[in-house]
This record gives sequence, C-alpha cells and structure tokens, in this order.
Amino acid sequence: MADYENPLIPEGINVSPTHPLKDFILLVAGISTLLIVTVLVLSLLAGQLARHIPFANEQALAASLGRWLPQPPESAIARQRQDYLQNLAERLAGAMQLPPNMPITVHYSPGQTVNAMATLGGHIVVFEGLIATLPSENALAMILAHEIAHIRHRDPLVALGRGFTVMLALASFAGVGDGALQQGLGSIGMLPILSFSRSQEEAADAAALPAVLAVYGHVGDAAAFFEKVTQQRSGFDSPTLLSTHPDSEQRIARIREFSARQAPTDVAPTPLPAFMKAP
Amino acid sequence: MYDLILFLIFLLLGYVFGQRAEKRHFRSIIEREKQLRDILVFSERRIPDAEQLDGSLVCGSVVISVDFFKRFVAGLRSLVGGRVSAYESLLERARREAILRMKEEARRGGAQSVWNTRLETASIYKGAQQSIGAVEVLAYGTAVKPR
Repeated sequence: MADYENPLIPEGINVSPTHPLKDFILLVAGISTLLIVTVLVLSLLAGQLARHIPFANEQALAASLGRWLPQPPESAIARQRQDYLQNLAERLAGAMQLPPNMPITVHYSPGQTVNAMATLGGHIVVFEGLIATLPSENALAMILAHEIAHIRHRDPLVALGRGFTVMLALASFAGVGDGALQQGLGSIGMLPILSFSRSQEEAADAAALPAVLAVYGHVGDAAAFFEKVTQQRSGFDSPTLLSTHPDSEQRIARIREFSARQAPTDVAPTPLPAFMKAP
Repeated sequence: MYDLILFLIFLLLGYVFGQRAEKRHFRSIIEREKQLRDILVFSERRIPDAEQLDGSLVCGSVVISVDFFKRFVAGLRSLVGGRVSAYESLLERARREAILRMKEEARRGGAQSVWNTRLETASIYKGAQQSIGAVEVLAYGTAVKPR
C-alpha cells in the first residue's frame, strides 16, 4: 500500500464558519423586521381603503355591535345635558360642512373619566368628568369639534380597519390559538384599534379650530383644556414620539398661533349653562 | 405567557447543552481520527491484488439528535433560504463518527484498509410535526487484510 498516502484534512471545510448565535440573531432580526414592515404596509393600505367605505355601512356596523354605547340618560338633568351637547355638536357640525348623510350622535356618560371619544357610526361619548374640568362652552366646543373632525375624517373606521388587518396578518403568521405567541400578537392588533395616530389627531385639531371660529367668531378658551392638563401634570413626561396625542404644549402653541392670525377680539368666552356644572 | 418562558428555557438549554456536546464530540472525533490514521479508506470498488487478500464487510452507524436550538434556527432558515449551518455541523459529526466506527471494526478484524466505502443518511422522525428530528449516518465498506 505504499503508493497511497493519507493527508491530514484541514478542519472546518464542510461547515460554514458562522457562530450559531450570530446566525440566530441575524435570522430573528431579519425576519422580524420583514414581518413588521409587511404589517405596517398592510395596515397603511387598509387605512386608505377603509376611508372609502360608505358611511351608511359604518353606521350599520356600529348598530350591529350590540350594547357598547352608554345607556340613554335616565334622570332629567342628564337628558338635559345630553340635549345641550347634541345641540352644540350640531351647530359645530353645520360649521364644518359635514356631508348630509353623516349625522352626529352625542352620548352623555356620567362617569368621572376626563375624556371624550369619537367612535364608529358618528357616535361621540362625552364624560361628565371632562365637562367638570372645562371653564367655558368654548372649551367644550373645541373638544366636540375635534371629535366631529375625527368622524368626518373617518378615523374610527380607519383605526378599526388597520387593527383588524394587523390582527389578520399576524394570525396568519402565528396561527389562532391561546398560546402566548398568538395572544401577544393579537394584542398588538388591538393597538391601532384603540388609538388614533398623531397625524390624525393633528388633522382633527386643525379642522376643529375653524369650526369654533365660525360658531363663536373667536377661538378664545380653545386651548383651555390642554392648559389645565399641562398644569395638573405631576412631573411625568411621556416622550412625544411614543404618545399618540400631540404634546399638550404643542397643541396650545398651535391654537395660540391660529388665534394670533385672527383679528383680535375681546369677546368674553360663553359660559357653560348652569345645569352643566351642577354637582 | 408560560409557554413563551418554557420555549425560551428550551432554547437556552438546547443551545448550552447542544454546543457543549458538539464541542466535546468534535474533540473526540479529531483524537480518534489520529489514532486510526493508518487504516486507509477508499471509495474505489475494485480492490487491487484482490486474489491475495481476505475481504469482509465492516460498517459503523451513528444516530445524532438535533437540539431544540438548532431546530429553531433551521426553521427560521427555511423561511428565507440559504446554508443551514446549524445542520451542516450536525451532519459532519455524524459522517465522521460513522466512518470512525467502521474503521474501529476494521481494526478489530486486523485490516489495514477499507474499500468501496459508502455512506447512507436517514432522517428519523421524518415528517413528524412538533418533534425534534434525529439523523442516522451509516458507513460501510469492504475491509481487507492479507490472506
């Protein structure tokens, strides 16, 4: 056997020289980036499409959801408050040139939550807690006009469309089930449903100011709610990028800038009717 | 939440023990290959001077399990394509181990060379979902010694 030799074969010629952890991290990072980009693109597309759904379909959808809006008011004072809010909303809606087939329904809720929200089918919920913090009708009108603008821009439907698309995309990737992965990804889909984007909020503010101006002739007190929020905030500052609502200071600045462009008036803000402030 | 934690624990266990086992195995392979270097292995079918030699079948087989970490990385790899380096090292270990075991059998029989060496690979648990696979490599050939 002297004609044959057995050379020493170098190590590692049959294996890619990659560290297994590096391979792992690259794959996880790459695939999650791809997934996030896909889901974002899909949700943007869904948002664009949702805007074209006729308002009548949105109303039908809202009606089919069952009991999710506050119960009709029982006491006389609550009914009076709701009528007043409805009246104010209709005056503002008139100034905002809402399409004729887009009725606004305001619901008064006797909760202590300091909030108002616009939701599917032209419904707006205003909480007692919010009204209690407001100094004048003008401040309330600004908030109502902001919510009406959301409805005119179809923001609740866009949010729902985006949310369901994200949920569907993630469910088709991870499957449907009660595993941790599916639950976690499902709750990501809830995020766009529960909030509007910053640009939607800014657009709503921008549409609300001219409406308040048209109804009252000035925009005094329009920033009142945000000024109050700024005063009450106790040292906690959430980063601007993370919160969907524009920073209160930025909103106040924008409102002041808008009012500076109008002819100065010294009309006092319209006070809220006494029954709105009763305990 | 619990199955996510469980999954991460499995991944960590798979990585730590899998890598340890792999390093140790490679050390042992390199060591034993040095000891068995004098037994020559050929893929050639025709054995020179066959009439003066005694031939016998020798074989060596090994089954190596994939660890959880390798399986997960390979699963991710299957989404994007490319070299599955996690499995490359696994199969390299299995091939070399199978040849070593075959050579050990040849040594026990007093042979100096193995001819017509062939390798067969089989996947155990093939197609079974949710199971960690294992690979079998079988090496066989004709060991020869002077008559």
